Amino acid sequence: MAAVEAVGAYTLLRLGDDGGDTGAPGQFFMLRAEPAPAAAYLPRAVSAAWAGDGELAFLLDVRGAGTRALTEARTVSVVGPLGRGFDLAAGPSILVGGGIGAAILPWLRRRLEQRGDVRTVLGFRSPEHAVCAGIVDPDATVVLDPVLVTEPLARLLPASATVYACGPDRMLEAVAALCAEHDVPCQLAMEAAMACGFGACYGCAVRLDGTWKRLCIEGPVVEAARVLA
Amino acid sequence: MSSPDLHADLCGIRFGNPLVNGSGTLDALAAGTLGLGAFVTKTVTLHPREGNPPVRIAETPAGMVNSIGLANPGLDAFCADHLPRLGELGVPVIASVGGWSPSEYATAVARIGAHPAVAAVELNVSCPNVESGCIAIGTDAGETRALVERCRSETDLPVLAKLSPSVSDVAAIATAAAEGGAHGLVLINTVRGIAIDRDRLRPLLGGGGGGLSGPAIKPIALHAIFHARAATGLPIIGMGGVASAQDCVEFLAAGASLVGIGTSLFADPGLPQRMLPELGRLVRQHGAETIEDLVGVAHPRLSSSTRA
Repeated sequence: MAAVEAVGAYTLLRLGDDGGDTGAPGQFFMLRAEPAPAAAYLPRAVSAAWAGDGELAFLLDVRGAGTRALTEARTVSVVGPLGRGFDLAAGPSILVGGGIGAAILPWLRRRLEQRGDVRTVLGFRSPEHAVCAGIVDPDATVVLDPVLVTEPLARLLPASATVYACGPDRMLEAVAALCAEHDVPCQLAMEAAMACGFGACYGCAVRLDGTWKRLCIEGPVVEAARVLA
Repeated sequence: MSSPDLHADLCGIRFGNPLVNGSGTLDALAAGTLGLGAFVTKTVTLHPREGNPPVRIAETPAGMVNSIGLANPGLDAFCADHLPRLGELGVPVIASVGGWSPSEYATAVARIGAHPAVAAVELNVSCPNVESGCIAIGTDAGETRALVERCRSETDLPVLAKLSPSVSDVAAIATAAAEGGAHGLVLINTVRGIAIDRDRLRPLLGGGGGGLSGPAIKPIALHAIFHARAATGLPIIGMGGVASAQDCVEFLAAGASLVGIGTSLFADPGLPQRMLPELGRLVRQHGAETIEDLVGVAHPRLSSSTRA
């Protein structure tokens, strides 16, 4: 059973939890509309917005046949949880989200609030896209294009906190560099096209430790230093 | 009514069921064997390879185009780290080998073929995603014959040639492999393809072109298997777009003794486990007792006395 609702420019897909393991924030699931349309034969790798209370929720940026099929499906097949999620550190946290990267932060924030103060900075390309900030953190600092999310982040640093970031590659590189400059620990949730999600296809190659690695096995959450290496 | 026998045979090796993965579509050390009757390794080359730069995969109608570029740890690490663990999988292991010259293939075949974990060797002469070698050999009948002959002399294990459909006459290449002494054939590898980025109007994949796989290529695979079987009578591991038990019996009928799954494993790792009972039902429905009974039945003039 699936329920679909608009959250500004994005779409929230809420699936009934069948009782299986839902993993931890930052891990991901392979989602496929069933029966799979020919235009979207492969599943989509998506990290949950949250899990619990009998549901598994995903915030989607509906842009092509695959995401559209997910929002129109009566049944969605779910494989997961897969990969490595966030390593939750003790003490204060700073969450950084860019665009649809904000989608995986609500669950993380709920978990981190139990460990200390959480500050959130988010960047979006339009006010419609920024509507989802409300489900991430009602007190978030939000910037809109062309302002970069690194601007409010820079004002929070240096800090005795752990930074958790998800967004486009160039944003993640800038956040990693900023955190390295201030010697602040930083974890990045990265994205890459995946056909399988369990190490078989080698499609999700990302540059880690100076070489191409499978993001589905090494991540999708990695220590920022591995990207800068 | 007793359930049909799903055992399969190829080159004297007995398999619990006829399903295998296509090379490079499963990491059994990470994900297990998913109920398959055998495991085929990702292609191993003499030296380690990082693979091609991203983007490496693109979805296309009923399939995908990939340009991975034979990313692998190289022969030394494969023999030291992978093979001992592959021996514990509990199913026959078919090791896939690639290279840029006959001597590279021969070196890898000799090393890998000597390991007790390996049941057969696949010569990948059909990877579309490297600049030279591999498919450059497999598109030439003379080079294919010579390569197979050379590798046969390096091992006592069955040697299988994995062929590309992107040639003008796949039966001619299959015949050359047979003349070189191949014990069996694996076909098809991916079909050469290209994906164009819809916004930039430039090739989408980092490697430029790539290999097409998925249900879109099933008729091409059946054609290649049918004609390779007719031309050589060799046992075949057939693959290309298999996504259901029905597909599986069609591949058996075209001449495959084992049937490979690739892209559909990506989309649905539970598929082999669900296919097997359905496969048993279809075997029975076609009046057969065993998998072997259906192999090659699509060939009208192939009598049982000429079947390999």
